Amino acid sequence: MIRAIAVAVVLFCATSATAQDISISEAYIPLAPPGVRAHAAYLTLSNTGSENRSLIGVTAQGYGMAHLHQSMEMNGVAAMSALHQLEIAAGQTVALTPGGLHIMLMQPAPSQVVGASVPLTLHFANGKDITTQATVTQRDGGS
Amino acid sequence: MRAALRIAALMCLPFAAQAQVQGVMLDDAVSLPDFSFHDEQGGRFTSADLKGNWTIVMIGFLTCPDVCPFTLGNLEAAVAETGLRVRPDNVPKVWFLSVDPDRDGDYVSEYGPFFHPDFRSMTGARDQIDTFIEATDSFYRLMPADADGEYEVQHSSAVSVIAPDGTLRAKLQPPFDPGMTAEFLARLQIGYRRELSQ
Repeated sequence: MIRAIAVAVVLFCATSATAQDISISEAYIPLAPPGVRAHAAYLTLSNTGSENRSLIGVTAQGYGMAHLHQSMEMNGVAAMSALHQLEIAAGQTVALTPGGLHIMLMQPAPSQVVGASVPLTLHFANGKDITTQATVTQRDGGS
Repeated sequence: MRAALRIAALMCLPFAAQAQVQGVMLDDAVSLPDFSFHDEQGGRFTSADLKGNWTIVMIGFLTCPDVCPFTLGNLEAAVAETGLRVRPDNVPKVWFLSVDPDRDGDYVSEYGPFFHPDFRSMTGARDQIDTFIEATDSFYRLMPADADGEYEVQHSSAVSVIAPDGTLRAKLQPPFDPGMTAEFLARLQIGYRRELSQ
């Protein structure tokens, strides 16, 4: 029990958002190219609990829609598919990174600046929500 | 044409799976037909503009949230690295061709320069786009719209590398590791100059 509390305290200090057994870190939004109607947010989810968790939706403040998506490449063709849920197994960490899993943000707010924070609320199948702040970052070449 | 492709995956670091370039140098240069693309600022980009410099053409669409910006960002790094290895006039120009003119036509010009001031982005009439796509053995497909009227565009992820004589010489597959891509392009240019001098 004491260990559990200690872990919880450490997680609370080390990450931008925690709720029960899910922690979210490294939430960021590369600055969108001018005028585009869709861009992406990335983050890392860690399930430190003993039960599997399922991310079933995202709400992004200032955007009309936010969807879980996965980019993929098959036979040299780049394609994208919507994910209805993303499983984060107990003890597992899932990273949303460029070129793969991402949160597609649509109908964006008119303008953004580097360093701004965008609240992202993640909805889980167990009814819990977690809100985290994604930072708008300069887009660096070369990943 | 596929039969004529020679796979030239340069694996320089055998234990680092990421550190390779997936490049295909064509055994025989492919002539490209005449085409004309444009942007909303009155810019025109034609097959004649390919002459006299190396050009990398990427196809995509602006509503692409993840792969297109990621790829262009990586290309920017790769081209910068190439600039360290080749003469300044051999640094490839980069064109981003949107195959989604209906949605992108009004603001397409801003996209390329966002990633590098020298990058250009454009779109074109459907028949012009299709002419280029077919000639470069590329592919795209506008997917059916969903209930909100939104649609996705599937497209070839490889970029086309076009020589100063206006012919297609290679295809490069992302991700574009900067060092490996620069090495690939430098080798391609050496082979091209050797061919010209023969």
